Amino acid sequence: MSGEIDPEMLMAYADGELDPLSAKRVERAIAGDPQAAATVARHRALRATLARAFDPVAAEPVPKPLLAAVETPKVVDLASVRAARRRTRGWSGWPVGGAIAASLALGLFLGGQLDGGAPVTSRGGALIASGSLDHALNTQLAATQDSAATTRVRVTFRDRSGTICRTFATPALGGIACRDGDAWVLRETRGRTQTAATEYRQAGSDDAAIMADAEAAMSGEPLDAAAEARARAIGWRSR
Amino acid sequence: MRFEDELIGLLPRLRRFARSLAFAPADADDLCQATIERALKSRDQWQPGTRLDSWMYRIMRNAWIDTARASKRRGETFVAAEAGESIGDAGDRAIEARVELGNVGRAMAMLPPDQREAVALVLVEGLAYKEAAMVLEIPMGTLTSRLVRGREALMRTLGEAA
Repeated sequence: MSGEIDPEMLMAYADGELDPLSAKRVERAIAGDPQAAATVARHRALRATLARAFDPVAAEPVPKPLLAAVETPKVVDLASVRAARRRTRGWSGWPVGGAIAASLALGLFLGGQLDGGAPVTSRGGALIASGSLDHALNTQLAATQDSAATTRVRVTFRDRSGTICRTFATPALGGIACRDGDAWVLRETRGRTQTAATEYRQAGSDDAAIMADAEAAMSGEPLDAAAEARARAIGWRSR
Repeated sequence: MRFEDELIGLLPRLRRFARSLAFAPADADDLCQATIERALKSRDQWQPGTRLDSWMYRIMRNAWIDTARASKRRGETFVAAEAGESIGDAGDRAIEARVELGNVGRAMAMLPPDQREAVALVLVEGLAYKEAAMVLEIPMGTLTSRLVRGREALMRTLGEAA
């Protein structure tokens, strides 16, 4: 039990970080060493001082700009999308033929599972947004939508023909919808992998693939918040 | 719980951590802002089921180091002497707390960054040594030696006040 108790050990003792055996050793040592006992006391006093000084900060209301930074993040990070696209050797254009047929089956299958009626119907061989999905695509702006919204619109952009397209995600389905007359034609849909066990809905690989396809089809940059609002005001018409 | 909700729940603690690192209130909230942006951008890298607070502390710490490096390059000093002294018309207790934050904050601001972040995580945020070492990605022995040096320096600076 003799020998120096080093400063780290005294500190760790003061913080309750020692295993019971080591703690006993320190206790015995400081019993006969007032200076060591004083050091332990000063460590504890310092912790209390720091808590008194900084804890009031955690009790302050969080400033609004910080809350807003969480709830309305910048709409899209194009750089990371482009990086993802390079990794996946992305599309040079829209998926066609078999991909759409597969998507159709998937969309109709998933449709029955969502509330508010099927979000997808078929019209003349094309897949059309309906119900809650159609409503979200018509009304929601990526920049201002309720972050708890079940259907989220991620990016709004124009394809090379000037048509307005929007990427969207519901809990079960993600994709790209483009305006055609008074309807949103689904150019691409993907089932979103969902694990019921996790409460966190995070962007998965499906979302990354959709974003990469959107980026490939996009003419120029995505619409910013103001341009998106203007596009909505004119009924999402193409130029 | 949504990622965003959990993040919002952590903001009070993140603001406290930011103040113990950056001291000047405006700098601390800038640091929070930068941290939130980084976190949202790289949220796919966070593994659900692991601790979001540790992940956020790490992001904030890295953002702080980057900012500190940048301001050092510009020749700015870490310490904003006037910060923490603005005593509004708050009640006595609030004034007391603010003066205390002023003294303690200034003492913290004088610590080298590696000691300051160790002290902030363990003594202000209340992390266990092991957790703090993981946030900082350093071995336990490194953490404890930085922590003990930081604390001794604070005790010297604050003297009997501590």
